[in-house]
Amino acid sequence: MKSPSEDNDRVLRPHTYDGIQEYDQRLPNWWLFTLYGAIAFSLVYWVFYHQWHAGLEPGVAVESELRNNRELATRGAVVLDDALMWKKSQDASIVDAGKATFQAYCVTCHLPTLTGLIGPNLIDEYWLHGGRPTEVINTITNGEVTKGMPSWGPVLGKQKIVEVTAYIFSFHHEGEPIKQAPPWVPGQPMQVTTPTAGN
Amino acid sequence: MALPAPTLETVTTIRQDGSRQFIYPAAVRGPFTRWRALVGVLLLAVYALLPWIPVNGNPAVFLDVAHRRFHFFGLTFVTQDLWVAFFLISGLGFSLFYITALLGRIWCGWGCPQTVFLDMVRRFERWIQGDSLTRQRSDQHPTSATMGLRKAATQVVFALFALAIAHVFLSYFVSIPRLYEMMRRAPGENWGSFVFVFLVATALWFDFAWFREQFCIVLCPYGRLQSALIDSDTMVIGYDNQRGEPRGRKGTPDAGDCVDCHRCVSVCPVGIDIRQGLQMECIGCAACVDACDEIMSKLERPKGLVRYDSRNGFSGKPRRIIRPRILLYTALLLLGATAMTFSISTLRPVTVSLTRMAGMPYIITGNEIRNQYLLRVLNKRNTPQHFALTLSGDPKSLRWSGGEEVLEVAPLGEMMRTIVVEAARTEVHESFPVELKVQSLEHRTQIKKTVPFVGPGY
Repeated sequence: MKSPSEDNDRVLRPHTYDGIQEYDQRLPNWWLFTLYGAIAFSLVYWVFYHQWHAGLEPGVAVESELRNNRELATRGAVVLDDALMWKKSQDASIVDAGKATFQAYCVTCHLPTLTGLIGPNLIDEYWLHGGRPTEVINTITNGEVTKGMPSWGPVLGKQKIVEVTAYIFSFHHEGEPIKQAPPWVPGQPMQVTTPTAGN
Repeated sequence: MALPAPTLETVTTIRQDGSRQFIYPAAVRGPFTRWRALVGVLLLAVYALLPWIPVNGNPAVFLDVAHRRFHFFGLTFVTQDLWVAFFLISGLGFSLFYITALLGRIWCGWGCPQTVFLDMVRRFERWIQGDSLTRQRSDQHPTSATMGLRKAATQVVFALFALAIAHVFLSYFVSIPRLYEMMRRAPGENWGSFVFVFLVATALWFDFAWFREQFCIVLCPYGRLQSALIDSDTMVIGYDNQRGEPRGRKGTPDAGDCVDCHRCVSVCPVGIDIRQGLQMECIGCAACVDACDEIMSKLERPKGLVRYDSRNGFSGKPRRIIRPRILLYTALLLLGATAMTFSISTLRPVTVSLTRMAGMPYIITGNEIRNQYLLRVLNKRNTPQHFALTLSGDPKSLRWSGGEEVLEVAPLGEMMRTIVVEAARTEVHESFPVELKVQSLEHRTQIKKTVPFVGPGY
């Protein structure tokens, strides 16, 4: 074995600055391998994606997958009509889910009894903006912002709105009369005694 | 063929042509080796057991990425608390600097997972293949069939060890029951987790089987900072030049205590000669300390020719532990620790937001002006919480509704309420602040949210 002072392994670069010289040892081969490997990979990548167009570029692939997912989400969706909503209003699990949402968001104005205070009564046969389930879904989704009913679509989303509507209509039965309510004064009992209010 | 002698100018484990020089660190016995083995096993046990120990119904450490809930020893952090991670990460970094200034690379030698894992790996290798010399010879000459079998067995053990570590690692993110459930199902059902575990295991296996000390020497940035982090009073492992030099065999006149037996070099896991001084490669594992002490004991010379000491200590100057750098670091560390403790202790168990409902900013009905708000209460604790709301504002006619009753929010759950505030049009002529107080009934926390009440023209 040689002693450390022999310095056989020193490789110095010829360049000198302020009397300082640099070592020029070789990089580990495994290190160089990662560099050459990256270069080789980039070549393969370039040829594969940009020359042969053999595969979708990652950005495009993500876009197309998102598109597929959106299609999958809408495919098989049942068209919501009044008949289906009446059926949902008999489904205890949907009604219970709707009740929970109703108690969080709606009771402030429509009261836990649904009889209305700031907002109108929801369990009598008088309706301001249409009394069929699909019309009520529309009212909840888009609101009546000038009257103070916010548009809940962006807050609740479609599923919760359908559940809430099912909950409301669990207090009604299919085929009952739908009457046009007179103009609504919030905070006061609804004027429903006038027979001329019929539509 | 002997291994090349270490020099200061080159890395022993990289040959002149850039190829890898494998080293065969000899086994060493001694108090430091025993203590390090014990610490290593304890750390491995802690690593393997933390996901199993329930605290407040969750594993002691459970980074529940899927639900964005992070459980640490009974404390639960949600994504909103992420800013606390600043203290955790900068605190860990600064603690490392502090410890380095005091004790040198004690972390590398005693606590770093790489060192703990590699100590186990070298132990496995020694048990299966034999001592350093046997391994070196079998690598240089055609290997016998039994040695081939032993080498294959070693790789199998490495792979099993790597797989075990990788599985425990995944359990920190998915919890043990979920991990067990996934392990009993087909890989395709949890493809992401499966690939993750096997990528981690493959990387570890490559580390154990081939990469080893290259990680510490070439990849890890911490060793490179050594010269900036230590001073002449930092405790490091070194060789007592004054006592050891000139080297010479026992009986040589005027020779120092070092008999140039090269035992300290042959046990070194990174292939340096500690007698050349402190080097970037040194992970402070103290193998050379035990090795030299064993030789010195046999020669009936005092131990500690290679020892833990400061550079001042090695050159016979007085040793100092307390010095301006340490005082400053201590002050900064205490400051940081205080800030962290304070911020964690004041972490609210609840997040509240009160926003104006989208749509009309106000509604006029008869003599009333109405403003509508959406209240969102997020329970950040893993127990149910109850809240009482009170709302106040200047006008006498102020009325509010929505959430007059006690609100219960499920563990880590979220609750929304519509808040309607009304005031008489005759009384209110300009915007005024409305204050909502959310009082936790379980904790002393009270959160106040102020929103403006608006009406026509203001």
